[in-house]
Amino acid sequence: MRPAQVAINIGPPSDDNSSSQRTSSDESFEQVHYPTAFATTTANSGHWGPTSSHLHVEELPLHYMSEDKARRRVLKGPGGVGEEYEGDGGVGVVAPEKTSWYHDDGKDVYAKAAAGRPGMHMGPARYRRAPPPPPATFKEFIQQNLEHLPPAIYTLLSCWTRFHKIGKSNLVIWDEAHFGKFGSHYLKREFYFDVHPPLGKMLVGLAGLLSGYDGGFEFKSGAEYPDTVPYVAMRVLMAMFGVAMVPLGWYTAVELGFSRRACHLVALMVLCDVAWLCISRFILLDSMLLFFTFTTVFCLSKFHNQQYQSFSLDWWLWLAMTGFSIGCVTSVKLVGLFVTALVGLYTIEDLWEKFGDLKMSVHDQVKHWTARVVCLIILPILVYMASFKIHFMILNHSGPGDSQMSSLFQANLVGNDFAQNPLDVVYGSKLTLKNMGYGGGLLHSHVQTYPVGSSQQQVTCYHYKDDNNNWLVLPRWDEPAYDPNAPLKYLTDGAVIRLQHTSTTRNLHSHTVAAPITTLNHEVSCYGNSTIGDYHDYWVVEVVDDVKRGRKENFETIHSLTTRLRFKHQVLGCYLRAANALLPQWGFKQVEVSCDKENNPEDVHTYWNVESHWNDRLPAGDAKFYKSPFLRDFIHLNVAMMTSNNALVPDPDKEDILASKPTDWPWLRLGLRMCGWGDHQTKYYLLGTPVIWWGGTASLGVFVIVLGVYLLRWQRKYVDMEPREWDQFLYVGKVAFLGWFLHYFPFMIMGRVTYVHHYLPTLYFSVLMLAHLLDHFIFTSRRLSERTKWISFAVCTTIIVGTFWWFRGMAWGMDGSINDHWGLLWRKSWNIYN
Amino acid sequence: MASTPGLRGRRVRSGAGPSSAVDFDQDDDHNSLYSNHSRHRSSIEQFLDSEQASIAMVGVLTALAFALRFYKINNPDEVVFDEVHFGKFASHYIQREYYFDVHPPLAKLLFGLAGWFVGFDGQFQFENIGDSYTENHVPYVGMRALPAILGSLTVPIVYAIMKESGYSTIVAAFSACIVLFDNAHVAQSRLILLDATLIFFMSLTIYSYIRFRKLRYLEFSSEWWTWLIATGVFMACTWASKVNGILTVVAIGIAVLVDLWDILDIRKGHSMEHFWRHFSARATGLILIPLIVYLTTFYIHFAVLNTSGPGDTFMSPAFQETLKGNELLLNSQEIRYFDTVTIRHKNTKVFLHSHWERYPLKYDDGRISSQGQQVTGYGHADTNNEWQIIPTKALPETGRGRVVRYNDVVQLLHVNTQSYLLTHDVASPLMATNQEFTTWPKEDVVSRYNDTLFQLHLIDAYEGEAWKSKSGHFRLVHVPTKVSMWTYVNQLPEWAFKQQEINGNKNAQEKTATWYVDEILSDETGLDPRGRTGEVPAKQPKKMNFFKKFAELQLLMLQHNAGLTASHPYASSPINWPFLLTGISFWTQGEDQKQIYLIGNLVGWWACVVALSIYVGIIGADLLARRRGITPIPEPVRNRLWNNTGFFIVIWAVHYFPFFLMSRQLFIHHYLPSHLASALVAGAVLSFVMSETINYPISIRGPLMDRPRHPQEADLGINGPIVVGLFTLMMFAMFMYIAPLTYGTPGLTGEQVNSKRLLSSWTLHFAAKASGES
Repeated sequence: MRPAQVAINIGPPSDDNSSSQRTSSDESFEQVHYPTAFATTTANSGHWGPTSSHLHVEELPLHYMSEDKARRRVLKGPGGVGEEYEGDGGVGVVAPEKTSWYHDDGKDVYAKAAAGRPGMHMGPARYRRAPPPPPATFKEFIQQNLEHLPPAIYTLLSCWTRFHKIGKSNLVIWDEAHFGKFGSHYLKREFYFDVHPPLGKMLVGLAGLLSGYDGGFEFKSGAEYPDTVPYVAMRVLMAMFGVAMVPLGWYTAVELGFSRRACHLVALMVLCDVAWLCISRFILLDSMLLFFTFTTVFCLSKFHNQQYQSFSLDWWLWLAMTGFSIGCVTSVKLVGLFVTALVGLYTIEDLWEKFGDLKMSVHDQVKHWTARVVCLIILPILVYMASFKIHFMILNHSGPGDSQMSSLFQANLVGNDFAQNPLDVVYGSKLTLKNMGYGGGLLHSHVQTYPVGSSQQQVTCYHYKDDNNNWLVLPRWDEPAYDPNAPLKYLTDGAVIRLQHTSTTRNLHSHTVAAPITTLNHEVSCYGNSTIGDYHDYWVVEVVDDVKRGRKENFETIHSLTTRLRFKHQVLGCYLRAANALLPQWGFKQVEVSCDKENNPEDVHTYWNVESHWNDRLPAGDAKFYKSPFLRDFIHLNVAMMTSNNALVPDPDKEDILASKPTDWPWLRLGLRMCGWGDHQTKYYLLGTPVIWWGGTASLGVFVIVLGVYLLRWQRKYVDMEPREWDQFLYVGKVAFLGWFLHYFPFMIMGRVTYVHHYLPTLYFSVLMLAHLLDHFIFTSRRLSERTKWISFAVCTTIIVGTFWWFRGMAWGMDGSINDHWGLLWRKSWNIYN
Repeated sequence: MASTPGLRGRRVRSGAGPSSAVDFDQDDDHNSLYSNHSRHRSSIEQFLDSEQASIAMVGVLTALAFALRFYKINNPDEVVFDEVHFGKFASHYIQREYYFDVHPPLAKLLFGLAGWFVGFDGQFQFENIGDSYTENHVPYVGMRALPAILGSLTVPIVYAIMKESGYSTIVAAFSACIVLFDNAHVAQSRLILLDATLIFFMSLTIYSYIRFRKLRYLEFSSEWWTWLIATGVFMACTWASKVNGILTVVAIGIAVLVDLWDILDIRKGHSMEHFWRHFSARATGLILIPLIVYLTTFYIHFAVLNTSGPGDTFMSPAFQETLKGNELLLNSQEIRYFDTVTIRHKNTKVFLHSHWERYPLKYDDGRISSQGQQVTGYGHADTNNEWQIIPTKALPETGRGRVVRYNDVVQLLHVNTQSYLLTHDVASPLMATNQEFTTWPKEDVVSRYNDTLFQLHLIDAYEGEAWKSKSGHFRLVHVPTKVSMWTYVNQLPEWAFKQQEINGNKNAQEKTATWYVDEILSDETGLDPRGRTGEVPAKQPKKMNFFKKFAELQLLMLQHNAGLTASHPYASSPINWPFLLTGISFWTQGEDQKQIYLIGNLVGWWACVVALSIYVGIIGADLLARRRGITPIPEPVRNRLWNNTGFFIVIWAVHYFPFFLMSRQLFIHHYLPSHLASALVAGAVLSFVMSETINYPISIRGPLMDRPRHPQEADLGINGPIVVGLFTLMMFAMFMYIAPLTYGTPGLTGEQVNSKRLLSSWTLHFAAKASGES
């Protein structure tokens, strides 16, 4: 039911209103003024709730609020939020523009805000402010931009903490071994494979390029950097992202409508967390991941504050920026999907609100939906794909990651010898077989045997080049043995062959034993040797088609690279298949190969192609390079990434001292030694600033309890807060709590190995929550005096900075025997001391 | 009792505003003018709604249910699938031998009772699937009758749930038929399995809760209390039958919370005092009483099982000593320094073993060893398993000072090779992350003395507790490197005779690094140590507090339940369940090509899936429409959809989705409780689709009722019986078609098997050659 009042138009504050309320100070023209008519209505209605829909956000009379409260939420000078800035006179010039600024032309957006049910609807955390007039004097410029002074100072401090002694350890620290190496691959343009998307690593490569690194260093874990590697410059470039976190934290807090003190606390906590500091100082992806996570939250909060200026330039800008930021964060690490989910939930709620807005025209509805789809779905996907496109463009040389990709892709890489493959496959050819399913590998066998089933030699799919991938095409046992001098016999559709594993001379074999993982299929093994075997070694070659020559009717011989084949077991009628099921540790986590009883001609996991092909009796091929379509390569690589990522499961047989469980993180049960722990080494220990981590986690619990209490009281119709306060409490609470939850909970159900640095993006949300609750209970409280607020602020600041200073060595490097560093063991579970 | 709150309720409301625009009550009592409205109904509906028709319907359904579930219940006369476990547990109850299982005891107690009742002596151990009952003279039919009876009774309860929820007779019959003609329910109820009991109690819980809800205008009346307590008791029985029953508790819990939230609403006009009365009533009925019932089943469990049995080793030594004839109780002895002992690993039961052979210098993977003497785990008695305990402190000549105690630091001397057990920072042969265990000759004790020191961490021990054989479980923690001696099921290669690897686990608190002294072979002088303490071996079982026992068992159950992660060929992931993609092969018999394959009725299950999606669609459309200010569904019907059907949906979801989070092995029969809930949803959705009418209001008239609402009655007309009749026929046909797989008789030829394989993902045995054999 919609009450009649929905059409209330706030309208521009008329001059007489503003003059009548000019009470607090001479500069009060900066404050937002509410029509007196509405002020009186609301003053009488002392309750609110879902049904009291005649209440709305904008109606609050100023006299209803404390001075402090009023100042906090109304527009001031350029700062918008600060209590400290109400006095600066330079902005007085703004007044004339201000009135027009609040002209909303009677747009439905305002009506909607008015009609929204408090508690369901989110108002802007911070109002747009009038653009200041161009400064006439330098002094005026300073005054107008005074609000940017604290973040500037924090940024300088951040530069200092991030860059301080950054080159102290000249060793390859922790995962620099991986990411430095990947950076080198970009510089050498060799194709490599990794589970993370490429953007972050390309930036590492860029940092290397900018600092003049030639890509020649191997980045062996713990090795010393030679003079040729400008590791300090590279670290500094990476640390830039870490530096930017601090101002981003500040401005996000501003946009979320925090009080000035809470903004200071957020910036301080971002500045003073040792774990964030430590992780930003090395050549790792985390500083970029954190940076883009921060920008995403920032853009989202910025966009939220544009909500009453739909389709304005700023609105479009921040919506697009949010989408762009999402694209970047997911292109750095897939963990970015969690912050994407946060934006998604926010958008769903936002659109749900809009959908219920009966005043909005269908045209506007469609426009809103389209804007979201374009900016938050299509744009991020484009960014993600673009990063892969660049990735493929840079890495155009053959390298260690070739085998993850399709044979055609590999053939396009410089330095790959597939072009020299003889074209037609004949009996006696040595070849490797590539599975054509997404993420497929090369048919492989090794001397290890199955511990289950037949106990014969394992057959797997393997993603790296290796002599164990080589197979010989041989005739059946009942045919004359292969004679190297006999005329060439071409392999054709329907041929029945034997595949001999060259290094062990065993034959590819299948029998009615259940496969180890896909238990419904038959096991495939290697059996016998070059003279012993049976009819279970026979495979029928079935041609599917040829990428170049088309349907199988068009040709006879089988070409390497392009012809798609299936192998049918002659006796059992099953098909050789490899479908990303991973063997346990005994199979070295390689992909299981089985024989599928179901004949599904469409199943690409049963398709194979000849990849490498050697035969001295045939002329070297002159295969033209066939274009491998980008989209296919993109999907292929992503599937391969997922498969490898899922393979990173904790190995129960292998106790990893570095790994930790998600439950260890919120209370900081474990830290992580990032390098060797010798007395003569500089030691880094990845551990958060305890008070920040503990405080953040505690605040999450407090929020849930407080929210529960407020809801219970709401159900009993107690009025704890004004609608606007309640909106603010709920909006920031939702962003912080959902953000935290979405970044934390998936790790609980994820099977893969987790480390303490996976909590670092999550931590940001608990930091926001801590500041939010301090804001809610202390800094914006009406009961507490200014003095109390100052004292509590000072206490918080001192504790944060003090703890940071106490633990600074963990990020800046500790020298000498670790046991000489006194007083760091705040929890017994930390393995700091030997 | 009923009048006081009623008066208060009215008074408050009138105070709030006499002509309140808000309608508080969603459905009210039966209208007194019931019969007057009946004339608008079609005659067929009138006939079906009569009491006689309803009774006849229940009669037919129940009779059919009994017939289908008891048909050839003696076939097969062999152990089928999990009868291996649950039959065995029943025999343990009869033998009174302690066993351990992850499920609470109620259903198994009932089986024990049934077995005892039909004269089963408990000798047969249900060792393997396919063991013959007739040859072993097991009265298995009597034991199978129990779940069959409970499974049959579930059908009329489903009918009653729907009827009480205000759906028409024919719709109620429809829901009941989905369960009645379901092959999975039938197959599961005819065997000695827990699910029939679980589902029976679960349906009773739902029924009781609905009865309770309908009495909400007669709050605190004796009937109200009866159904509240009934809900609690049945809920506890569900939980006590099988561990999944906890989900039923969660489902009821959600409903109660919603209910309480509603009572709390100030617009209802209740005082806080009134709210607390409601709260405490529910706390009593749905928390306290269920807990008592749940604990009682465990109390009976412990009281029955008072003899040592296969479950002993799961329990703590203190627990084991309460069991008659337990080895710990009989043979546990204090260990003294210089005793020669054998040490055994608790989980894998291997002895700590060493022999002259050394580790090879280089392993296959290129790592280097210390080339020290091998220390391995060996499964059999051998003189190389003997170790002597050497003190690291001065001992008194005689007396209690020579007893080894908690946290003592000791050396272990391998008797045959005269070398000390040692570990050092060298990677073990198979696990590069763990430390190698080896020995060091006694002559050269000085150079590596520190590396031979081990501290004795007795588990759950107090300071100064003596180390005992058998009962003294301990971890052996290396003093300098803090690793604990550990082993797991992994064989060393040929060079160590495929014995088990022993290595140092860096997690000193590792649970599986637990060892115990199996036997004290001789003391310092080489004499048999028995009787040196002069104790008489005939000891009485000790007493232990019930709650301690309960807590210990409950914890173990949870741990083991989570630990059931081994793969099983018929385990399936939850996403497959509603669509019936895979079943479980319960039993096969080669000669006659007979098999039992647990699979549901394809028609019924897919109808349920369709109903669930229609429901989601309706609710989604309703939400969207209301968001746009349109109210397409009449209020009473909408209330029924949200509140009643919503409750069924909650039950379905709560019994289904948690399985996605579980990493243990899962089977399709875990979906059966959800399937029952989805059958209820299917009925409700069918009713909604066929007609916009429902029986309304259905709640019992009471003093709290505000004012009578306009009543209406469900009327499906002639369409109802026709649609339901056709559908039931289809289900029956499908049931009969798959019946050979459900009853395991008659045997099928290969071609028949192929034709019964309706979905390609069903893995039936004895299929004809076309798609390979297995």
